[in-house]
Amino acid sequence: MNGATAIRHWRAQRVSAVALILLALWLVESLLAHLGADRAQIQTWLGQPVPAALAAALVAVAFFHLALGVRVVLEDYVHTPARLAAALAANRVACWALALIALAAVATLAFGL
Amino acid sequence: MTPAERPLSPHLQIYKPQLTSVLSIAHRGTGLALGVGAIFFVWWLSGAAWSDACFRAAQAFWGSWLGKLFLLGWTFSLFYHLLNGVRHLLWDIGFGFDLPTTYRTGWTVVAVSVLLTLFAFGGGLYAWGSP
Ligand code: HEM
Repeated sequence: MNGATAIRHWRAQRVSAVALILLALWLVESLLAHLGADRAQIQTWLGQPVPAALAAALVAVAFFHLALGVRVVLEDYVHTPARLAAALAANRVACWALALIALAAVATLAFGL
Repeated sequence: MTPAERPLSPHLQIYKPQLTSVLSIAHRGTGLALGVGAIFFVWWLSGAAWSDACFRAAQAFWGSWLGKLFLLGWTFSLFYHLLNGVRHLLWDIGFGFDLPTTYRTGWTVVAVSVLLTLFAFGGGLYAWGSP
């Protein structure tokens, strides 16, 4: 990482953290409110615009924050350049894939597809 | 291998544990645990969106004792990582970085995350048992 990238990374990690404070508390509250709910109840819940928008924001920001966080961990512990490059690439692909699957699922529920 | 030109993170095997270092590594551990939790969450969410069988499998897992143990771990991880994350953000804007304050806020984070975990998880178990 060069200086400019490092600063951007640092800032992105912190901005996503601030957003996650509220989104994560909302998730805890929502999951407690839906304990033991069946599939139809979850579909009704995430079929409403506000919960769907919050869920979409949560998964997008969480996987973004996770990708940044895991990158730092890998840079700390993987010292062989080739292995580090492979691990960083795997991290990016995995986080992107999970985020896109989650967003597709939220969209399916939101629009009742 | 050529020696790294930047400072290395402390070697955990030879570094004497102190509250500060334990809490710091716990921030990392809980962050990674939440990452695993996020994968399970996508599993459950995909089930809700696309597949009855998948959704029922996920619900059955949360209901098992292993699933509940995982939920307990994630509940604590989330509260700890969130509160300690706030502590990080406060340091970044220049608050509380002197040693006495670091210890005080550190113990506060531990105590409050344990309390919130007991509260949320206990309340959840109670509500689950009596819908
Ligand atoms: C709930 C609100 C959250 C807050 C306030 C928060 C805050 C932070 C902060 C400030 C850092 C940087 C720490 C440093 O500079 O060393 C960080 C790192 C990290 N976070 Fe979060 N976070 C939150 C949620 C999450 C979630 C939901 C996940 C998982 C999906 C996660 C995974 C990570 C990981 C893996 C790291 C890297 C740890 C390291 O470098 O040691 N965080 N978090």
